Amino acid sequence: MKIKKTFIDPLIDNNPITRQVLGICSALAVTVKVEQALVMTLALTFVVTMSNTIISLLRAYIPSSIRIIVQLTVISTLVILIDEILQAYMYEISKTLTVFVTLIITNCIVMGRADGYAMQNNVKDSFLDGLGNGLGYGIILIAVAFFRELFGFGSILNFQVLPEFLKNGLMTMPPGAFIILGLIIWVQRSLTSYVEK
Amino acid sequence: MKNKYVFILTIAIVCSLLLSLASEGLKDLKNKNIEIDKKKNILSAIGIDIDNFSVLDLDKYFTENIDTLIISLDGDTILEISINDLNEVENKQNGKVSYYHNSQEVLPLYKELKENVIIIPISGKGLWSSLFGYFAIDADNFSTVKGITFYTHGETPGLGAEISKEWFQSNFIGKEIYSGKKLLSIKVAKPGLADKNNLYEVDGISGATITSRGVTELLKRDLKRYEPYFIRNKK
Repeated sequence: MKIKKTFIDPLIDNNPITRQVLGICSALAVTVKVEQALVMTLALTFVVTMSNTIISLLRAYIPSSIRIIVQLTVISTLVILIDEILQAYMYEISKTLTVFVTLIITNCIVMGRADGYAMQNNVKDSFLDGLGNGLGYGIILIAVAFFRELFGFGSILNFQVLPEFLKNGLMTMPPGAFIILGLIIWVQRSLTSYVEK
Repeated sequence: MKNKYVFILTIAIVCSLLLSLASEGLKDLKNKNIEIDKKKNILSAIGIDIDNFSVLDLDKYFTENIDTLIISLDGDTILEISINDLNEVENKQNGKVSYYHNSQEVLPLYKELKENVIIIPISGKGLWSSLFGYFAIDADNFSTVKGITFYTHGETPGLGAEISKEWFQSNFIGKEIYSGKKLLSIKVAKPGLADKNNLYEVDGISGATITSRGVTELLKRDLKRYEPYFIRNKK
């Protein structure tokens, strides 16, 4: 049961974006198209899962006075690694993601899970927690990107579905992301009647 | 682990080793990607449909049809220097890219033999970012515009970013940059106000006055640099 809870919880009920309102920066920036959001999800899930696992493995040895430095070193290494891989194998998309891949280093979700969860829990749980949080972030990212691409470009995954005249330029710009993300958070909170304390 | 200094040092060394290994191992692939991207952009400046091109087609087209030339600021062709030996220096103020070989400033130029077109790199400032692209003109009269493309920019999507769209770029085709012996370049006018019969003017982008002005300025400046070459080789 616990395994299920560790993995499932961050997907919806305790979603890092809609519930904890973390990782907003990239959720607003790289959600113009679904393709971008997918790759970003992949990159962040890789980083948060791996960093959780590594930090959890090392947790008994990390001196607590320098734990943040250690976490940051591990996270940055993973982020630079994924950035290199994207540049080598998915050049076109890495070009559209620009600095946002490297900015995963400062994404609060990664740091938060490393310090808040992986430092106290065993490797298996930390791995699942990382996976859950990465995918939870991804679900929202893809949802936002879906609506922005649909109404902004009239397409889904670059496949044209709406006629030209329905395109709305606002959706392709930052306000579009704010509006869609706000609506998603609103819908989720009214459905679960969650109130921030 | 008792000693925190030893611990963090170990972590740092392991991480940096890993990263240098990855970076070194993927270097060839990354450079290849950048090169392919550049080639694609050069070809799209002259309106070649590259969507169906494989990497091999691209390389083949390049070796068969494109000559890369290095010219001096006086317009002489320099045969001894290869384009891979150039250092690119970007002026962050105005987005101008200068090319150096050792300490000598030179200019790169691509000559497409099949369509008889020369392609020059262009760059300059838009509203938020530097714009980078290629500009293609006829290789006989050095005046008729064959195409323009922008491959890197950070302009507002829907506004300034329209410079990388087909409708904007196709406006340039068939325009002229020379009026007699005078290099006029091309002016990006206010949206909708460009005179269709004016060969030196194209329609700008609504809501992107500064990006449009940037394009006007960078064309003027970068074309001017090649003027000695144009004059020398004009037929």
